[in-house]
Amino acid sequence: MNSIIKLKIRKKTFKKKGFSILNDFELEVEPGEKLSIIGESGVGKTSLLNIIGLLDTQYQGSYKLFDTSVKDLSRNKLAEWRNQKIGFVLQESALINSLTIEDNIKLPLMYANIEKDLTVQDRFKRIVTKIGIEPILKKKPLECSGGQRARAVFARAVIMNPQIILADEPTASLDSKNKEKIINLLFDMNKEFNTTVITVTHDLDVANRHERIITLERNE
Amino acid sequence: MGMLIILFLANYLSFTTARSIVSTFQGYQEMETLNQEGIYIANLDPDSQPDFDKIKIDDTQKVYEYLNNNYTYALQVDGFVTSLYNEYEMEVSFNYINEEAYKINQFGLSQGNHLNFNYKFNKEEIPVLVGAGLATTYPVGSTIEITDPATQQLVNLKVEGVLKENTYRSNFYAPNSKNYFNFSIFLPVNKNFIQSASLDLHVNGLMDIALLNSTKEKAMNLNDHIQENLGLEFNFFNQQENFNYFEDYYFYSLTIICTITLILLIVIVCLAIWNTLVSIRLMIKDFTINLLVGLSYSKLRVIFYSYFGVLFSITLAILFAITAFDRYSFWLNKDSIFATYGIFGLISMDWIALLIVLFIDLIIGFAIVELTIRKIKSIPISMGVLQ
Repeated sequence: MNSIIKLKIRKKTFKKKGFSILNDFELEVEPGEKLSIIGESGVGKTSLLNIIGLLDTQYQGSYKLFDTSVKDLSRNKLAEWRNQKIGFVLQESALINSLTIEDNIKLPLMYANIEKDLTVQDRFKRIVTKIGIEPILKKKPLECSGGQRARAVFARAVIMNPQIILADEPTASLDSKNKEKIINLLFDMNKEFNTTVITVTHDLDVANRHERIITLERNE
Repeated sequence: MGMLIILFLANYLSFTTARSIVSTFQGYQEMETLNQEGIYIANLDPDSQPDFDKIKIDDTQKVYEYLNNNYTYALQVDGFVTSLYNEYEMEVSFNYINEEAYKINQFGLSQGNHLNFNYKFNKEEIPVLVGAGLATTYPVGSTIEITDPATQQLVNLKVEGVLKENTYRSNFYAPNSKNYFNFSIFLPVNKNFIQSASLDLHVNGLMDIALLNSTKEKAMNLNDHIQENLGLEFNFFNQQENFNYFEDYYFYSLTIICTITLILLIVIVCLAIWNTLVSIRLMIKDFTINLLVGLSYSKLRVIFYSYFGVLFSITLAILFAITAFDRYSFWLNKDSIFATYGIFGLISMDWIALLIVLFIDLIIGFAIVELTIRKIKSIPISMGVLQ
């Protein structure tokens, strides 16, 4: 099967801090794969997600996403792909507190100019019903529990039906019940839509439920 | 709110500077009509110490007799205020003008005919022009019986014409300062009238008198004559001296005002950019979330332009309202010298200044947005800030 992610990093350098990470790192990911990335703090897990998620293009190496060289994409195209092809499942605090839960979830739709599209509205209803956050749609994030916020973050990540989900410590600060819910939602997406799931976590239980685990180690 | 105040300051500063420049330019254009070869404009020597109480009407009559016999001169005196009924209940100002001054100024009329200076004072009606504000109360052809403030005699005035709205006269030595004639009566001054006029008109008439087709020598002779009879020391400035005065004083002041304005505008732009960047740094979490879900820098640019467009529109609207109220307050206070007509209360120089502000806003907006976007692009975006 063709890999949708083909990443070869020679190194990622932080000039101000004077060190580099991800030296000679290579990664290929196939469609529908469930991949977990683990490692100690500071080895470059989040930096790797930034690169895969098209937030960071300042590294030495090459990156092909859906057979397209990322370095050939304009800033606008990168933003469009982040909007349409990649969903970010983050910690429960990654919501804009001044917006309602509904507006937070609909943010990607707004940037894609499809918020009034009927099929999209239908998808929105299905997702919020499925993950059980209908009652809190008009509430602000700070009025909700951690578990509810985590599900709202998940809803926002999948609202555009992305081909890849990048999850950065999605279960950190959640209790075991809510942690289970989020992991199940991620894997349901994977099962239902063949969505590729890449999860960065410190939690070995979570990591072990993925098909493949990559352990990042500190560079010498 | 902070940004709104900063941008309003920028607009207010640009507006007052632009209006001052436009008004000075208008005054300078007026001055240029008198700034011809052979014209000498009187100016009371600032170092002289005149004793006006000692001046008698017989002395001033002698000066005007000498003037009438030896010189061609332009005379225009205003500031003689009187009460005359009109629908706006404004005080009415008399403006006395001789034929030469009238020819030079070429005041535009909206109705009626130009002034006739060949009338017989005290024997027939005096043809006058009225300001636009008096036109409905005193239309062309109507007569006004009044005690003339300059001669203190009961006279009959016949309205010959109506001055165009906002006809004005700038101060020779402060070109951005203007008197408007919307509630004025222009009364033609001839030799008979001067003979009957009071000491006030005689003395005030000399203050800005302009000798036409003259020479420095003749101007000095007049100065000697005035000094001998009235004890007043005058300077008579020729074309070059007037131009030099403008260059030395007004052009220099305008350059300083423009430079200060430019420096302040740059400071304000930097402040606005700093304010935006601080806001973004404070909201870096929200900003990162927006970038993650699809906000692009070009969309951000559109958002910024819309944001600053709204802010500038609000500040322009406030500026417009303040200016309109300022103009309207002259009507409320019955200040006839400054009461003006205009579209939504604003006169042409206000509109020109607003257009200049709009143009400056476009430049400021462009500078703020483009420099801010450039700075924002250098802020590293990472999911790390969301942990």
